[in-house]
Amino acid sequence: MGVKRSHAEMSGRPKKQDAPTASDQPQSPFMPIFETFRAELDEHHARREEIIKASRDITAASKKIIFTLQRTRKLKEPLPQHVTKTNKDHHDIIAERLKNVAKHLQGINSFRYARQISGGCQEWMEAASFQHYLETARLLSYEESRALLEQVSRDEEGRSVVLSPEDYVLGIYDMTGELMRFAITAMATQGLPTIPLEADDPNADAAGAIEVDSSVPVAGQRNVLTDMRLLRSALEGIDAGSGPFAKDAEKKMEVMRTSVEKVEKSLYGLIVRGAERPKGWMPDMDAGGGRAIEVEG
Amino acid sequence: MAANGDAMIQTGIFEDLQRKIDEDTAVKDALRDIVQSLEKQDRTTQSILSRSHSTATQDLQSVVKAAQTNIDKEIATIQQLSEIASKHPYYKFNYAWTRQMQDACYSVLLCGWLGGFGKGATGQLMTIEDVGSLMKVPVNLKDRDAFHLTIEEYLLALISLLEELARLARNSVTLGDHRRPLQIAQFIKDVHAGFQILNLKNDTLRKRSDGIKYRVKEVEDVVYDLSLRGLLPKD
Repeated sequence: MGVKRSHAEMSGRPKKQDAPTASDQPQSPFMPIFETFRAELDEHHARREEIIKASRDITAASKKIIFTLQRTRKLKEPLPQHVTKTNKDHHDIIAERLKNVAKHLQGINSFRYARQISGGCQEWMEAASFQHYLETARLLSYEESRALLEQVSRDEEGRSVVLSPEDYVLGIYDMTGELMRFAITAMATQGLPTIPLEADDPNADAAGAIEVDSSVPVAGQRNVLTDMRLLRSALEGIDAGSGPFAKDAEKKMEVMRTSVEKVEKSLYGLIVRGAERPKGWMPDMDAGGGRAIEVEG
Repeated sequence: MAANGDAMIQTGIFEDLQRKIDEDTAVKDALRDIVQSLEKQDRTTQSILSRSHSTATQDLQSVVKAAQTNIDKEIATIQQLSEIASKHPYYKFNYAWTRQMQDACYSVLLCGWLGGFGKGATGQLMTIEDVGSLMKVPVNLKDRDAFHLTIEEYLLALISLLEELARLARNSVTLGDHRRPLQIAQFIKDVHAGFQILNLKNDTLRKRSDGIKYRVKEVEDVVYDLSLRGLLPKD
Protein backbone atom coordinates (compact mmCIF):
# COMPACT_ATOMS: atom_id res chain seq x y z
CA MET A 1 0.00 0.00 0.00
CA GLY A 2 1.35 3.37 -0.86
CA VAL A 3 0.40 6.92 -0.09
CA LYS A 4 -3.09 7.50 -1.29
CA ARG A 5 -3.78 11.05 -0.31
CA SER A 6 -2.44 14.34 -1.40
CA HIS A 7 -1.23 16.66 1.26
CA ALA A 8 -4.11 19.05 0.77
CA GLU A 9 -6.42 16.32 1.93
CA MET A 10 -4.22 15.34 4.78
CA SER A 11 -3.84 18.64 6.52
CA GLY A 12 -6.45 20.36 8.55
CA ARG A 13 -9.39 18.17 7.60
CA PRO A 14 -10.89 16.74 10.73
CA LYS A 15 -13.50 14.55 9.02
CA LYS A 16 -12.17 12.02 6.58
CA GLN A 17 -15.57 11.80 4.96
CA ASP A 18 -14.79 15.20 3.48
CA ALA A 19 -11.78 13.84 1.73
CA PRO A 20 -12.73 12.01 -1.42
CA THR A 21 -10.03 9.58 -2.41
CA ALA A 22 -9.24 7.65 -5.45
CA SER A 23 -9.03 4.08 -4.23
CA ASP A 24 -10.68 4.00 -0.80
CA GLN A 25 -14.22 4.31 0.29
CA PRO A 26 -14.75 7.64 2.01
CA GLN A 27 -15.09 5.74 5.25
CA SER A 28 -12.32 4.19 7.23
CA PRO A 29 -11.46 0.83 5.69
CA PHE A 30 -11.48 -0.66 9.18
CA MET A 31 -15.15 0.04 9.82
CA PRO A 32 -16.38 -3.51 9.22
CA ILE A 33 -13.85 -4.82 11.75
CA PHE A 34 -14.94 -2.34 14.35
CA GLU A 35 -18.60 -3.04 13.73
CA THR A 36 -17.97 -6.65 14.70
CA PHE A 37 -16.11 -5.48 17.78
CA ARG A 38 -18.92 -3.14 18.70
CA ALA A 39 -21.47 -5.94 18.58
CA GLU A 40 -19.28 -8.17 20.73
CA LEU A 41 -18.52 -5.48 23.28
CA ASP A 42 -22.15 -4.39 23.50
CA GLU A 43 -23.17 -7.95 24.23
CA HIS A 44 -20.48 -8.23 26.87
CA HIS A 45 -21.43 -4.97 28.56
CA ALA A 46 -25.12 -5.89 28.59
CA ARG A 47 -24.37 -9.20 30.27
CA ARG A 48 -22.03 -7.54 32.68
CA GLU A 49 -24.57 -4.93 33.70
CA GLU A 50 -27.30 -7.50 34.15
CA ILE A 51 -25.03 -9.44 36.47
CA ILE A 52 -24.02 -6.36 38.43
CA LYS A 53 -27.68 -5.49 38.98
CA ALA A 54 -28.54 -9.03 40.04
CA SER A 55 -25.59 -9.08 42.39
CA ARG A 56 -26.72 -5.83 43.94
CA ASP A 57 -30.25 -7.15 44.46
CA ILE A 58 -28.94 -10.37 45.94
CA THR A 59 -26.77 -8.39 48.32
CA ALA A 60 -29.68 -6.20 49.40
CA ALA A 61 -32.02 -9.15 49.94
CA SER A 62 -29.34 -11.05 51.87
CA LYS A 63 -28.81 -8.07 54.12
CA LYS A 64 -32.53 -7.98 54.86
CA ILE A 65 -32.49 -11.68 55.64
CA ILE A 66 -29.63 -11.18 58.05
CA PHE A 67 -31.46 -8.28 59.64
CA THR A 68 -34.47 -10.47 60.35
CA LEU A 69 -32.28 -13.32 61.55
CA GLN A 70 -30.77 -10.96 64.09
CA ARG A 71 -34.12 -10.91 65.86
CA THR A 72 -33.68 -14.48 67.01
CA ARG A 73 -32.26 -15.13 70.44
CA LYS A 74 -31.98 -18.89 70.51
CA LEU A 75 -29.33 -21.17 69.13
CA LYS A 76 -29.77 -24.62 67.68
CA GLU A 77 -33.48 -24.29 67.35
CA PRO A 78 -35.72 -23.96 64.32
CA LEU A 79 -36.18 -20.34 63.30
CA PRO A 80 -39.28 -18.66 64.70
CA GLN A 81 -42.22 -18.60 62.34
CA HIS A 82 -42.17 -14.84 61.90
CA VAL A 83 -38.56 -14.90 60.79
CA THR A 84 -39.13 -17.58 58.20
CA LYS A 85 -42.21 -15.79 56.95
CA THR A 86 -40.55 -12.39 56.65
CA ASN A 87 -37.57 -13.84 54.85
CA LYS A 88 -39.48 -15.84 52.30
CA ASP A 89 -39.85 -12.85 49.96
CA HIS A 90 -36.17 -12.09 50.16
CA HIS A 91 -35.25 -15.69 49.43
CA ASP A 92 -37.57 -15.58 46.43
CA ILE A 93 -35.88 -12.47 45.08
CA ILE A 94 -32.47 -14.06 45.47
CA ALA A 95 -33.56 -17.24 43.71
CA GLU A 96 -35.12 -15.27 40.88
CA ARG A 97 -32.06 -13.09 40.31
CA LEU A 98 -29.70 -16.05 40.47
CA LYS A 99 -31.73 -18.05 37.99
CA ASN A 100 -31.72 -15.06 35.65
CA VAL A 101 -27.97 -14.70 35.51
CA ALA A 102 -27.05 -18.39 35.67
CA LYS A 103 -27.10 -18.54 31.86
CA HIS A 104 -24.46 -15.82 31.66
CA LEU A 105 -22.07 -17.68 33.90
CA GLN A 106 -21.54 -20.81 31.83
CA GLY A 107 -18.77 -22.23 29.65
CA ILE A 108 -16.22 -19.69 28.54
CA ASN A 109 -17.97 -17.05 30.62
CA SER A 110 -18.05 -19.06 33.82
CA PHE A 111 -15.39 -16.92 35.45
CA ARG A 112 -15.62 -13.89 33.21
CA TYR A 113 -18.00 -12.06 35.50
CA ALA A 114 -16.72 -13.54 38.74
CA ARG A 115 -15.91 -10.10 40.07
CA GLN A 116 -19.39 -8.84 39.27
CA ILE A 117 -21.32 -11.69 40.89
CA SER A 118 -18.88 -12.19 43.74
CA GLY A 119 -20.39 -9.49 45.98
CA GLY A 120 -23.82 -11.07 45.83
CA CYS A 121 -22.43 -14.56 46.41
CA GLN A 122 -20.50 -13.44 49.46
CA GLU A 123 -23.49 -11.74 51.01
CA TRP A 124 -25.64 -14.74 50.21
CA MET A 125 -23.02 -16.94 51.88
CA GLU A 126 -23.04 -14.72 54.92
CA ALA A 127 -26.81 -15.00 55.27
CA ALA A 128 -26.89 -18.73 54.55
CA SER A 129 -24.14 -19.59 57.01
CA PHE A 130 -25.59 -17.34 59.70
CA GLN A 131 -28.99 -18.93 59.35
CA HIS A 132 -27.47 -22.39 59.36
CA TYR A 133 -25.53 -21.56 62.49
CA LEU A 134 -28.61 -20.26 64.29
CA GLU A 135 -30.53 -23.39 63.39
CA THR A 136 -27.86 -26.01 63.94
CA ALA A 137 -24.96 -24.34 65.75
CA ARG A 138 -22.74 -25.63 63.00
CA LEU A 139 -20.71 -24.06 60.26
CA LEU A 140 -22.05 -24.69 56.80
CA SER A 141 -19.24 -26.38 54.88
CA TYR A 142 -18.08 -25.28 51.45
CA GLU A 143 -19.50 -28.36 49.78
CA GLU A 144 -22.87 -27.88 51.47
CA SER A 145 -22.93 -24.19 50.55
CA ARG A 146 -22.00 -24.88 46.97
CA ALA A 147 -24.74 -27.48 46.69
CA LEU A 148 -27.23 -25.12 48.29
CA LEU A 149 -26.42 -22.28 45.91
CA GLU A 150 -26.57 -24.65 42.99
CA GLN A 151 -30.01 -25.74 44.07
CA VAL A 152 -31.25 -22.19 44.63
CA SER A 153 -29.89 -20.86 41.35
CA ARG A 154 -30.69 -23.71 38.97
CA ASP A 155 -32.74 -22.51 36.00
CA GLU A 156 -35.10 -24.53 33.79
CA GLU A 157 -32.22 -25.67 31.66
CA GLY A 158 -30.23 -26.91 34.61
CA ARG A 159 -27.69 -24.12 34.61
CA SER A 160 -26.67 -22.72 37.96
CA VAL A 161 -24.34 -20.31 39.71
CA VAL A 162 -21.20 -21.87 41.13
CA LEU A 163 -19.97 -20.73 44.50
CA SER A 164 -16.22 -20.21 44.52
CA PRO A 165 -14.16 -21.28 47.54
CA GLU A 166 -12.99 -17.67 47.76
CA ASP A 167 -16.51 -16.28 48.05
CA TYR A 168 -17.26 -18.95 50.62
CA VAL A 169 -14.36 -17.93 52.83
CA LEU A 170 -15.04 -14.22 52.43
CA GLY A 171 -18.70 -14.79 53.29
CA ILE A 172 -17.68 -16.67 56.42
CA TYR A 173 -15.43 -13.80 57.43
CA ASP A 174 -18.42 -11.48 57.25
CA MET A 175 -20.56 -13.96 59.12
CA THR A 176 -18.38 -13.52 62.20
CA GLY A 177 -19.58 -9.92 62.26
CA GLU A 178 -23.16 -11.16 62.46
CA LEU A 179 -22.22 -13.56 65.24
CA MET A 180 -20.78 -10.59 67.09
CA ARG A 181 -23.97 -8.58 66.71
CA PHE A 182 -26.05 -11.59 67.68
CA ALA A 183 -23.93 -12.29 70.75
CA ILE A 184 -23.89 -8.72 72.00
CA THR A 185 -27.61 -8.16 71.54
CA ALA A 186 -28.34 -11.43 73.29
CA MET A 187 -25.99 -10.58 76.13
CA ALA A 188 -27.96 -7.44 76.83
CA THR A 189 -31.22 -9.29 77.19
CA GLN A 190 -30.59 -12.85 78.27
CA GLY A 191 -26.90 -13.50 78.37
CA LEU A 192 -24.38 -14.98 76.00
CA PRO A 193 -26.16 -17.56 73.85
CA THR A 194 -24.98 -21.03 74.68
CA ILE A 195 -25.38 -24.19 72.75
CA PRO A 196 -27.82 -26.49 74.52
CA LEU A 197 -25.85 -29.59 75.31
CA GLU A 198 -27.27 -32.84 76.57
CA ALA A 199 -28.10 -32.34 80.24
CA ASP A 200 -25.71 -29.56 81.01
CA ASP A 201 -26.74 -26.86 83.36
CA PRO A 202 -25.52 -23.53 82.07
CA ASN A 203 -26.13 -22.03 85.45
CA ALA A 204 -23.40 -23.92 87.18
CA ASP A 205 -21.29 -21.80 89.45
CA ALA A 206 -18.32 -20.58 87.49
CA ALA A 207 -18.09 -16.87 87.85
CA GLY A 208 -16.67 -16.79 91.31
CA ALA A 209 -17.56 -14.17 93.83
CA ILE A 210 -19.69 -11.91 91.70
CA GLU A 211 -23.28 -12.83 91.60
CA VAL A 212 -24.39 -13.02 88.01
CA ASP A 213 -27.28 -14.25 85.99
CA SER A 214 -27.27 -16.97 83.39
CA SER A 215 -25.45 -14.68 81.01
CA VAL A 216 -22.10 -15.84 82.22
CA PRO A 217 -20.74 -18.82 80.37
CA VAL A 218 -19.61 -21.92 82.10
CA ALA A 219 -16.15 -23.21 81.44
CA GLY A 220 -16.27 -26.04 78.92
CA GLN A 221 -19.71 -25.08 77.73
CA ARG A 222 -19.99 -24.17 74.06
CA ASN A 223 -21.29 -20.71 73.43
CA VAL A 224 -21.22 -18.14 70.65
CA LEU A 225 -17.91 -16.78 71.81
CA THR A 226 -16.13 -20.13 71.95
CA ASP A 227 -17.42 -20.78 68.44
CA MET A 228 -16.26 -17.40 67.24
CA ARG A 229 -12.80 -18.10 68.61
CA LEU A 230 -12.78 -21.45 66.91
CA LEU A 231 -13.76 -19.83 63.66
CA ARG A 232 -11.18 -17.13 64.13
CA SER A 233 -8.40 -19.62 64.57
CA ALA A 234 -9.58 -21.64 61.57
CA LEU A 235 -9.71 -18.55 59.37
CA GLU A 236 -6.34 -17.41 60.61
CA GLY A 237 -4.96 -20.76 59.57
CA ILE A 238 -5.87 -20.29 55.92
CA ASP A 239 -2.99 -19.51 53.64
CA ALA A 240 -4.62 -17.34 51.02
CA GLY A 241 -1.53 -17.29 48.84
CA SER A 242 -1.22 -14.16 46.73
CA GLY A 243 -3.57 -12.33 44.44
CA PRO A 244 -6.85 -10.50 44.82
CA PHE A 245 -8.31 -13.07 47.21
CA ALA A 246 -5.39 -12.73 49.62
CA LYS A 247 -5.90 -8.99 49.66
CA ASP A 248 -9.62 -9.25 50.40
CA ALA A 249 -9.02 -11.90 53.04
CA GLU A 250 -6.45 -9.74 54.77
CA LYS A 251 -8.88 -6.85 55.05
CA LYS A 252 -11.68 -9.01 56.36
CA MET A 253 -9.35 -10.73 58.79
CA GLU A 254 -8.84 -7.47 60.66
CA VAL A 255 -12.58 -6.85 60.91
CA MET A 256 -13.14 -10.43 62.04
CA ARG A 257 -10.55 -10.13 64.79
CA THR A 258 -12.17 -6.93 66.00
CA SER A 259 -15.56 -8.67 66.08
CA VAL A 260 -14.26 -11.44 68.30
CA GLU A 261 -12.64 -8.92 70.55
CA LYS A 262 -15.79 -6.87 70.88
CA VAL A 263 -17.64 -9.90 72.19
CA GLU A 264 -14.77 -10.68 74.53
CA LYS A 265 -14.80 -7.16 75.89
CA SER A 266 -18.55 -7.19 76.34
CA LEU A 267 -18.42 -10.48 78.14
CA TYR A 268 -15.66 -9.15 80.33
CA GLY A 269 -17.84 -6.19 81.22
CA LEU A 270 -20.72 -8.47 81.90
CA ILE A 271 -18.73 -10.64 84.27
CA VAL A 272 -16.90 -7.89 86.09
CA ARG A 273 -19.80 -5.52 86.45
CA GLY A 274 -22.64 -7.79 85.58
CA ALA A 275 -24.36 -7.48 88.91
CA GLU A 276 -24.43 -3.74 88.69
CA ARG A 277 -25.97 -3.44 85.30
CA PRO A 278 -29.53 -2.19 85.15
CA LYS A 279 -32.08 -4.12 83.20
CA GLY A 280 -31.95 -3.52 79.49
CA TRP A 281 -28.48 -2.06 79.56
CA MET A 282 -26.52 -2.67 76.37
CA PRO A 283 -22.80 -3.02 76.37
CA ASP A 284 -21.26 -0.26 74.30
CA MET A 285 -19.91 -1.89 71.20
CA ASP A 286 -17.60 0.93 70.29
CA ALA A 287 -15.88 1.67 73.54
CA GLY A 288 -14.03 -0.97 75.51
CA GLY A 289 -16.55 -3.32 77.02
CA GLY A 290 -15.70 -2.73 80.68
CA ARG A 291 -15.32 0.99 80.46
CA ALA A 292 -18.84 1.66 79.31
CA ILE A 293 -20.16 0.61 82.66
CA GLU A 294 -18.46 3.47 84.38
CA VAL A 295 -21.60 5.44 83.83
CA GLU A 296 -23.04 3.29 86.54
CA GLY A 297 -20.02 3.07 88.81
CA MET B 1 -14.70 -27.07 74.28
CA ALA B 2 -17.73 -29.09 73.51
CA ALA B 3 -17.78 -32.77 72.84
CA ASN B 4 -16.23 -33.68 69.54
CA GLY B 5 -19.35 -34.79 67.75
CA ASP B 6 -21.01 -31.54 68.52
CA ALA B 7 -18.30 -29.12 67.43
CA MET B 8 -19.15 -26.05 65.42
CA ILE B 9 -16.70 -26.83 62.66
CA GLN B 10 -16.79 -30.33 61.29
CA THR B 11 -13.41 -31.82 60.69
CA GLY B 12 -11.97 -31.28 57.28
CA ILE B 13 -13.90 -28.19 56.22
CA PHE B 14 -10.94 -25.89 56.27
CA GLU B 15 -8.47 -28.55 55.19
CA ASP B 16 -10.53 -29.08 52.02
CA LEU B 17 -10.65 -25.38 51.39
CA GLN B 18 -6.93 -25.03 51.85
CA ARG B 19 -6.38 -27.82 49.36
CA LYS B 20 -8.52 -26.01 46.78
CA ILE B 21 -6.69 -22.74 47.33
CA ASP B 22 -3.34 -24.52 47.08
CA GLU B 23 -4.35 -26.17 43.81
CA ASP B 24 -5.07 -22.77 42.33
CA THR B 25 -1.80 -21.43 43.66
CA ALA B 26 0.03 -24.28 41.93
CA VAL B 27 -1.65 -23.44 38.62
CA LYS B 28 -0.76 -19.78 39.06
CA ASP B 29 2.87 -20.72 39.74
CA ALA B 30 3.07 -22.90 36.65
CA LEU B 31 1.55 -20.12 34.55
CA ARG B 32 3.80 -17.50 36.03
CA ASP B 33 6.95 -19.20 34.76
CA ILE B 34 5.67 -19.33 31.21
CA VAL B 35 4.26 -15.84 31.32
CA GLN B 36 7.56 -14.52 32.58
CA SER B 37 9.49 -16.03 29.71
CA LEU B 38 6.95 -14.58 27.31
CA GLU B 39 7.49 -11.21 28.91
CA LYS B 40 11.24 -11.52 28.59
CA GLN B 41 11.05 -12.57 24.96
CA ASP B 42 8.70 -9.74 24.17
CA ARG B 43 11.05 -7.26 25.74
CA THR B 44 13.72 -8.40 23.30
CA THR B 45 11.30 -8.07 20.40
CA GLN B 46 10.40 -4.59 21.55
CA SER B 47 14.00 -3.54 21.73
CA ILE B 48 14.56 -4.80 18.18
CA LEU B 49 11.46 -3.03 16.90
CA SER B 50 12.46 0.22 18.53
CA ARG B 51 15.37 0.35 16.14
CA SER B 52 12.79 1.27 13.51
CA HIS B 53 12.87 4.81 14.88
CA SER B 54 16.45 5.20 13.79
CA THR B 55 16.49 3.02 10.70
CA ALA B 56 16.04 4.46 7.25
CA THR B 57 12.98 3.13 5.46
CA GLN B 58 15.00 1.23 2.88
CA ASP B 59 16.89 -0.67 5.60
CA LEU B 60 13.81 -1.43 7.64
CA GLN B 61 13.45 -4.98 6.45
CA SER B 62 16.45 -6.15 8.46
CA VAL B 63 14.79 -4.84 11.64
CA VAL B 64 11.51 -6.48 10.71
CA LYS B 65 13.24 -9.76 9.97
CA ALA B 66 15.05 -9.80 13.30
CA ALA B 67 11.82 -8.98 15.12
CA GLN B 68 9.99 -11.72 13.31
CA THR B 69 12.56 -14.28 14.34
CA ASN B 70 12.06 -13.29 17.92
CA ILE B 71 8.30 -13.24 17.63
CA ASP B 72 8.54 -16.85 16.49
CA LYS B 73 10.00 -17.63 19.89
CA GLU B 74 7.14 -15.80 21.55
CA ILE B 75 4.68 -17.84 19.56
CA ALA B 76 6.28 -21.05 20.81
CA THR B 77 5.85 -19.80 24.37
CA ILE B 78 2.26 -18.79 23.69
CA GLN B 79 1.68 -22.35 22.51
CA GLN B 80 2.91 -23.66 25.86
CA LEU B 81 0.78 -21.14 27.67
CA SER B 82 -2.23 -22.07 25.61
CA GLU B 83 -1.77 -25.73 26.39
CA ILE B 84 -1.66 -25.26 30.15
CA ALA B 85 -4.20 -22.48 30.31
CA SER B 86 -6.75 -24.42 28.31
CA LYS B 87 -6.93 -27.01 31.07
CA HIS B 88 -8.59 -24.43 33.29
CA PRO B 89 -11.51 -22.06 32.95
CA TYR B 90 -10.17 -19.27 30.74
CA TYR B 91 -11.31 -16.31 32.78
CA LYS B 92 -10.24 -17.79 36.08
CA PHE B 93 -6.57 -17.17 35.40
CA ASN B 94 -6.53 -14.84 32.43
CA TYR B 95 -5.37 -11.96 34.59
CA ALA B 96 -2.07 -13.84 34.84
CA TRP B 97 -1.26 -13.41 31.16
CA THR B 98 -3.55 -10.77 29.69
CA ARG B 99 -0.99 -7.97 29.84
CA GLN B 100 1.73 -10.12 28.31
CA MET B 101 -0.61 -11.28 25.56
CA GLN B 102 -1.44 -7.64 24.88
CA ASP B 103 2.26 -6.83 24.61
CA ALA B 104 2.92 -9.78 22.33
CA CYS B 105 -0.05 -8.77 20.20
CA TYR B 106 1.31 -5.24 20.00
CA SER B 107 4.70 -6.53 18.82
CA VAL B 108 2.96 -8.49 16.10
CA LEU B 109 0.87 -5.48 15.06
CA LEU B 110 3.89 -3.18 14.90
CA CYS B 111 6.00 -5.71 13.07
CA GLY B 112 3.12 -6.27 10.65
CA TRP B 113 2.65 -2.55 10.13
CA LEU B 114 6.33 -2.21 9.32
CA GLY B 115 5.89 -4.79 6.60
CA GLY B 116 6.58 -8.01 8.45
CA PHE B 117 4.90 -11.39 8.03
CA GLY B 118 5.00 -11.22 4.28
CA LYS B 119 3.06 -7.97 4.14
CA GLY B 120 5.94 -6.45 2.25
CA ALA B 121 4.67 -2.89 2.31
CA THR B 122 4.28 -0.78 5.42
CA GLY B 123 1.01 0.55 6.70
CA GLN B 124 -0.95 -2.67 6.96
CA LEU B 125 -3.27 -3.42 9.81
CA MET B 126 -3.20 -7.01 10.94
CA THR B 127 -6.71 -8.01 11.92
CA ILE B 128 -7.41 -9.95 15.09
CA GLU B 129 -7.79 -13.03 12.90
CA ASP B 130 -4.39 -12.38 11.31
CA VAL B 131 -2.81 -12.10 14.75
CA GLY B 132 -4.60 -15.21 15.99
CA SER B 133 -3.56 -17.38 13.09
CA LEU B 134 0.01 -16.13 13.39
CA MET B 135 0.03 -16.92 17.11
CA LYS B 136 -1.78 -20.18 16.41
CA VAL B 137 -4.46 -19.40 18.95
CA PRO B 138 -8.18 -18.89 18.49
CA VAL B 139 -9.59 -15.38 18.81
CA ASN B 140 -12.72 -14.12 20.49
CA LEU B 141 -13.71 -17.61 21.51
CA LYS B 142 -17.36 -18.03 22.45
CA ASP B 143 -18.44 -21.60 21.95
CA ARG B 144 -15.87 -23.36 24.09
CA ASP B 145 -13.71 -22.61 27.07
CA ALA B 146 -10.08 -22.51 25.98
CA PHE B 147 -7.15 -20.19 25.65
CA HIS B 148 -7.57 -17.42 23.08
CA LEU B 149 -6.83 -13.82 22.21
CA THR B 150 -9.62 -11.51 23.35
CA ILE B 151 -11.01 -8.49 21.56
CA GLU B 152 -9.99 -6.31 24.49
CA GLU B 153 -6.41 -7.52 24.31
CA TYR B 154 -6.29 -6.85 20.58
CA LEU B 155 -7.81 -3.38 20.91
CA LEU B 156 -5.46 -2.39 23.72
CA ALA B 157 -2.52 -3.59 21.62
CA LEU B 158 -3.87 -1.55 18.73
CA ILE B 159 -3.86 1.58 20.88
CA SER B 160 -0.22 0.89 21.77
CA LEU B 161 0.49 0.64 18.07
CA LEU B 162 -1.03 4.07 17.44
CA GLU B 163 1.05 5.57 20.23
CA GLU B 164 4.20 4.10 18.74
CA LEU B 165 3.29 5.26 15.24
CA ALA B 166 2.81 8.82 16.45
CA ARG B 167 6.36 8.70 17.68
CA LEU B 168 7.49 7.08 14.45
CA ALA B 169 5.90 9.89 12.42
CA ARG B 170 8.20 12.46 14.01
CA ASN B 171 11.24 10.25 13.80
CA SER B 172 10.59 9.51 10.14
CA VAL B 173 10.90 13.21 9.45
CA THR B 174 14.19 13.25 11.31
CA LEU B 175 15.36 10.42 9.08
CA GLY B 176 14.34 12.38 6.03
CA ASP B 177 11.30 10.28 5.17
CA HIS B 178 8.53 12.80 4.53
CA ARG B 179 6.14 10.32 3.08
CA ARG B 180 5.59 8.10 6.09
CA PRO B 181 3.95 10.74 8.31
CA LEU B 182 1.17 10.98 5.72
CA GLN B 183 0.70 7.28 5.76
CA ILE B 184 0.67 7.21 9.54
CA ALA B 185 -1.76 10.11 9.74
CA GLN B 186 -4.23 8.33 7.53
CA PHE B 187 -3.82 5.06 9.37
CA ILE B 188 -4.34 6.61 12.79
CA LYS B 189 -7.38 8.52 11.59
CA ASP B 190 -8.88 5.38 10.13
CA VAL B 191 -8.37 3.43 13.34
CA HIS B 192 -9.64 6.37 15.38
CA ALA B 193 -12.82 6.40 13.33
CA GLY B 194 -13.22 2.73 14.18
CA PHE B 195 -12.82 3.31 17.89
CA GLN B 196 -15.38 6.06 17.78
CA ILE B 197 -18.19 3.69 16.93
CA LEU B 198 -17.48 1.49 19.95
CA ASN B 199 -19.69 1.95 22.98
CA LEU B 200 -17.07 1.80 25.65
CA LYS B 201 -17.80 1.68 29.34
CA ASN B 202 -15.68 3.18 32.01
CA ASP B 203 -12.86 0.68 31.80
CA THR B 204 -9.24 0.46 30.76
CA LEU B 205 -10.16 0.30 27.11
CA ARG B 206 -12.17 3.49 27.43
CA LYS B 207 -9.44 5.32 29.27
CA ARG B 208 -6.75 4.33 26.84
CA SER B 209 -8.82 4.91 23.75
CA ASP B 210 -9.53 8.43 24.97
CA GLY B 211 -5.88 9.15 24.24
CA ILE B 212 -6.14 8.29 20.54
CA LYS B 213 -7.38 11.75 19.59
CA TYR B 214 -4.16 13.25 20.90
CA ARG B 215 -2.18 10.85 18.75
CA VAL B 216 -4.25 11.96 15.76
CA LYS B 217 -3.44 15.55 16.55
CA GLU B 218 0.25 14.87 17.11
CA VAL B 219 0.61 13.31 13.69
CA GLU B 220 -1.49 15.97 12.02
CA ASP B 221 0.85 18.54 13.49
CA VAL B 222 3.79 16.76 11.91
CA VAL B 223 2.02 16.70 8.56
CA TYR B 224 1.13 20.35 8.98
CA ASP B 225 4.73 21.28 9.72
CA LEU B 226 5.84 19.49 6.60
CA SER B 227 3.18 20.96 4.36
CA LEU B 228 3.88 24.47 5.64
CA ARG B 229 7.45 24.13 4.47
CA GLY B 230 6.58 22.42 1.24
CA LEU B 231 8.29 19.24 2.36
CA LEU B 232 5.53 16.81 1.55
CA PRO B 233 6.10 14.47 -1.41
CA LYS B 234 4.58 15.90 -4.53
CA ASP B 235 3.00 12.77 -6.01
